[in-house]
Amino acid sequence: MRKSSLSRQLIGGVLLAEFLCAALFSGIAIGHEMHGRRRAVDVILRGHADSLLGAVRDAEDAEDNVTVDPSELVLPKQDVYEVVSPSGRVLGQSPGLSAELLAGLGSARKAGYFNFEVNQESYRGIRIDGVRIIDREDKGGLRRPVTVLYAGPTRNVWHEALEAVSFYLIAGVVLLLSTGVALVWFLRRRLSPLQELAAIAGRVSARSWDFVSPSAVLRTAELAPIAHSIEDLLKGLRESFERQRRLTGDAAHELKTSIAVVKSSLQLLSMSPRTTEQYEAGLESLLIDTERMEDLASRMLALARLEEAPAESSQSSDLQSTMRSVAERLRPLADLKRVVLEVGGSEANKVAMPAEDAEVLCSNLLMNALQHSSPTQCVTVTVASQDGVTELRVKDQGEGIPEAALPHVFDRFYRADRSRSRNSGGAGLGLSICKAIVDRSSGTIRIQSVVGSGTEVTVTWPTVRSDDAVSELNESAHR
Amino acid sequence: MRVLVVEDEVRLASNIAQALRERCGFAVDCAENGLDGATMAEYKHYDLLLLDLMLPGLDGMGIVRQVRRRKDMTPILILTARDEPANVVELLNAGADDYLTKPFDLGELLARAKALIRRGKGASQPVLTVGRISLNTVEQTVRCEGQLIDLSPTEYRLFEYLIFRPRAIVSARELLEHLYDYNWQHHSNVIEAHISNLRKKLRAVGEETSIATLRGRGYRLEAPEKQL
Repeated sequence: MRKSSLSRQLIGGVLLAEFLCAALFSGIAIGHEMHGRRRAVDVILRGHADSLLGAVRDAEDAEDNVTVDPSELVLPKQDVYEVVSPSGRVLGQSPGLSAELLAGLGSARKAGYFNFEVNQESYRGIRIDGVRIIDREDKGGLRRPVTVLYAGPTRNVWHEALEAVSFYLIAGVVLLLSTGVALVWFLRRRLSPLQELAAIAGRVSARSWDFVSPSAVLRTAELAPIAHSIEDLLKGLRESFERQRRLTGDAAHELKTSIAVVKSSLQLLSMSPRTTEQYEAGLESLLIDTERMEDLASRMLALARLEEAPAESSQSSDLQSTMRSVAERLRPLADLKRVVLEVGGSEANKVAMPAEDAEVLCSNLLMNALQHSSPTQCVTVTVASQDGVTELRVKDQGEGIPEAALPHVFDRFYRADRSRSRNSGGAGLGLSICKAIVDRSSGTIRIQSVVGSGTEVTVTWPTVRSDDAVSELNESAHR
Repeated sequence: MRVLVVEDEVRLASNIAQALRERCGFAVDCAENGLDGATMAEYKHYDLLLLDLMLPGLDGMGIVRQVRRRKDMTPILILTARDEPANVVELLNAGADDYLTKPFDLGELLARAKALIRRGKGASQPVLTVGRISLNTVEQTVRCEGQLIDLSPTEYRLFEYLIFRPRAIVSARELLEHLYDYNWQHHSNVIEAHISNLRKKLRAVGEETSIATLRGRGYRLEAPEKQL
């Protein structure tokens, strides 16, 4: 498909308008001039005809034996005339009057102007019916009617008019050409930011994200918003690409590192002969390494599943009972670490999310709090519903998270202190999974922390209406 | 030889360290994050730096740049999970000498580590010879005209360090720094004792090559003039 060019259309349109203007102006000028010339011709014709009539009128002969002597008159050579009496007698004629011209003159039937054509030449003529009065003093005199026919070629009128207007015509053409050239140059220059923008936008690809709007584009009111939105779009895309790439890189790093641990452990064991105790110890740590790898893989898959599948809004679960059962399961760990675990709240709190998601969320939050707590410290969990909002709060008295790390805690594979967290087994996915679950159930998750005095995670959801809750309760009872 | 392993995965670091100690007889120190690693590398005790690329604090690339900015020529081997060519090119251009992608073969890691140390000391072959004595860094054996000299691991490591720089004076302090890791008690008389044993064993096979003690300056592996 041939693309329409904005600049070409603009230039073409303006040039066409200019040309039409010039043509209209020239037409009006020619018309006006022609009109004036015609009137002048008519006046001249009448003048000549009148002088002929005058020449005949002055003749004193009572009879019709009056003749017009051409030599006495000063008339244009190409003009023709005939003076006749009503009886048909020719009183006078221009010399060398041809039969065709005579017929043309004779075509006038009444007084006034008329046109005729002879040998492809246009003539304009006038017929005057006059009266010769002889012996004026003698009782009114004798009245002798006479007809004067006078005509001249009009060929020159057109030429003369054209000549008169030619100055304007030439001036018009010159103006048209010069403004046309100037316009093309001007428009091209003015439209160059558009072309620059197109060229720069055309250079953007998945490999090169550089898009720097030229200053000429930014100075153009119509283009600046386009340039800005392209810039913003590219920036967003680039960031999301970067995030995705970093994520893939991080995931690969985590997976490959865990495999490297297992592989190197195996190779180390087989490198030199070992005692049975050494083999047993090696196998035991290998098993732990493998379990960690398994955990990492399952967390990554869980995250992928959470982000891929849309939320099933029909399901809901009781946060309170889920949290209680998770807390009971983790109590041995808490006892082992000598951490006090308190779960507050009593009534059922329904939240719109699948039961397994609720369980993962609760266990992740609780595990995090337990892992970052020291002996004799307390982990407090409260679930409460108020003003249509259900709130889950997990609070610990652990070492806290540095302020600089807080905005990143939900980033995947992010660890505030990686070397340390590695020992505690986390791959930096726990909070990302929590966030994905909460996002999916249209809740919000917040984290507040003070280094040295503890961390508090708050999750809020809009409460599920009670009638829904009843049916859901029945459903879960069936299960 | 002393190697610094900077790896945040503690299990992997300990495996590598154990393999380097057991199979190569190297002294190994481990750092869990980039900042500690960079600080430890500054001491210049190490004959090889083994760095993970993704580290908390300062990444492997940052350590490489820091080390090379100091004009430190210590060989650097990078462990990386990323094996895209662009990454490798960037690494090598920054001054790393070699790289291994995870998960790697432990045997390959050891071979590369030894080769890099050898290269760093100006030798291209795994067998080093002085006079009639030849030292095989792969087998970790010392022979005198084919006859095996039975050396303890520490004696072997001492001799290996000295044989890379024949006739150069090596201070007791340098030997301590390059043969023991941080967990070792630093006593220079330990070195003196090992040198003395080494000397006896060399003399026992009738080798004229010997280790001279230069009081207050260090030790020197004496080699017959004509054979060098």
